[in-house]
Order: sequence, then C-alpha cells, then structure tokens
Amino acid sequence: MDKFAAIQFYALLKREILEHRNLFIGAPAVLALLILVASIWVASQLDQAEIVSTMEYLAVLFDGLSPFDMAPFFMIVSVPFIMTLYVCCLIYLVNTLFQERKDMSVLFWQSMPVSNFKTVLSKIVTVVVVAPIFYIAIIFALYLVGMIWLTVLGLTNDVDLVGIGWMFLAAVASLFLIYLSAVIASLWLFPTVGWLLLFSAFARKTPLLWAGGVFILLGFLESFIFGSEYLANWAQSRSTNLNQYLIFDFSNVVDKLFNYDMLFGIVLGSILVTGAVYMRRFTDW
Amino acid sequence: MKNFILKNRFTLLLTALTAYIAVLVAEGAITGREAQLLDFDNPFFEFNVNNLEEFIENRQ
Repeated sequence: MDKFAAIQFYALLKREILEHRNLFIGAPAVLALLILVASIWVASQLDQAEIVSTMEYLAVLFDGLSPFDMAPFFMIVSVPFIMTLYVCCLIYLVNTLFQERKDMSVLFWQSMPVSNFKTVLSKIVTVVVVAPIFYIAIIFALYLVGMIWLTVLGLTNDVDLVGIGWMFLAAVASLFLIYLSAVIASLWLFPTVGWLLLFSAFARKTPLLWAGGVFILLGFLESFIFGSEYLANWAQSRSTNLNQYLIFDFSNVVDKLFNYDMLFGIVLGSILVTGAVYMRRFTDW
Repeated sequence: MKNFILKNRFTLLLTALTAYIAVLVAEGAITGREAQLLDFDNPFFEFNVNNLEEFIENRQ
C-alpha cells in the first residue's frame, strides 16, 4: 500500500468514526459515566469502617500476584461495554450503507477517487479494529478514575496501597484481553457482518427486517425442501459458544485466530461482503 | 453471466445468497457439521448445556 492509499484509507476510517461518534464514543462514555455514578452511590451507602476494610481486602487480594494471571478477573467489568459494542456494531452495520443511499451521500462518495471495495473495507475495519479501541480507551479512563478515587480514599484512611497498584496492573493487562476478544469475536462473527452489510446495501426500507426475515425464510425453506438444518446449525455454532472467541490467556490467541472454523467463516463472510461491494453500484433509492 | 448477475439488485442478492448457501451446505454435508450447544470453557469453571445436571450437581 503506497502512502496515498494509506492516507486515503485513514481518511475513510476517520469519516466513519466522525459520522458515527455517538455509537463508538458517545455510547461507551455514557455507560462509563453511569457505572461511575452507580459506584459513587454504592460507596456513599457504606460507612467509613466498611470502606477501609474493603480497601484493605482489595490490597491484600492482589498484592504480589502476576497481573496477567489476575487479568481475566477484570473482564467481568467489561461485559456491559462488550454488549454495548455489539449492539452499536449491529446498528452501525445495518444502517451504514443504507443511510448513504437514503441521504444520497453515496453519489458524493462515489464521485471521489475511492472504490466501492475500499469504502466497504473501511466499514469492516471500523467494526473489527477501530471501534474496540475507543471502548478500551474509555474502560481505561474508567479504571484510571477508579484508581485515583481509591488512592485518595486510601491516603485519607491510612491504608497500605501497594496491593491496589497490583490491582491496577491486572486491570490494565485485562484491557489487552478485552481488545483481543473483541477483535476475534468480530472475525468469528464475520458472516454476520457480511450478511448485515449485504442487506444494508440492498434494502430500500427496513434493512434489519430484511436481514432477519430472509435468514428465517432461508432456514425454513432449507428445512422444508431438503429436510436439512445446516443453516440453523451453522448460525447456532457461530453464536452460542463464547469459548470460541473469548480470550482468557494470551497463549490462546494464535489458536483462536487460525483455525478451520474461523477461516471458513471468513471465507463465507467474504462472499457476502463481495455481494455488498457490488450491490453498492445500485444507488437508486 | 456477469450482465445477468448485475442486472438489478435482486439478481445480485439472489446470486450472493445462492453462493453463500451452496458453500455452507456443501461444507456442512462434507464435514457433517452439527450444532454446537453452549459450551463455555474458561479457567474458572466449565459450563456445557449438554451436561446441565452435572453442572448443577458440581455446584452443590
């Protein structure tokens, strides 16, 4: 990739983030604020002795332990963020190509020296690589605020803070696990990404209804005509098994990225993405 | 062929979905793919819907 192409692709990514900043920055920021307010409210309900004993317990719990071993503990904190990320990505994928046709901006973007392939690719990279970065940054900011809060509480209550430092390191290490899990989950769900993009580029109205309706219809037709359930089995295999894309240990990353099911899913998703790229030439509304 | 596929949005959708289903069904038939039920294996506990009773007994 030459320098111009790299700058061009960066501009495409920047455009996606700026146009959808509510989904990728606003939503996690509001969630973090809610968690912070809820934590402050809970802390305000505790009396001084309880706060001191909780801090002493936390300090002892993590003191001297390897941050990488304790990192999976903190993935629990990220669950609401990951769920928000999935919902926001779903909304984004369903609407992104649809909205461009609706407001006619597709004509402007197609007049630019950018191919349909690059545009669709930028949307995939936004979902798989870029969006999780913003979520991780906001989770990190939340941890940082929490750490400052605990430090102030520890200093005012004369509690040994060494263990809290270890806890912070474990929390930071968990951010890498969360990011890798988000990226691998997006790749694992790549057929869904392609499916949503295809219907986003296709539908004249209600793309989500089209995407869901056609999927149910195809499953029904397969079962009714051929008596098989490959589509349903496939969808179930790709969605319900969290173990296939959650990372609890850094040594599992390569295995989860390069295995038959993952690569086959990417191949299948690519068929649908190709359809979405060609579908983008039909700009009529 | 290309002209037919790109004739309108419906032919393109039909082609993409046919290709998708054809590859999916062929792979499913060759490998004998079956639905993988919820099997949540992690460092802290094991969870498999197929062994729900065993999971509850272990918890007790």
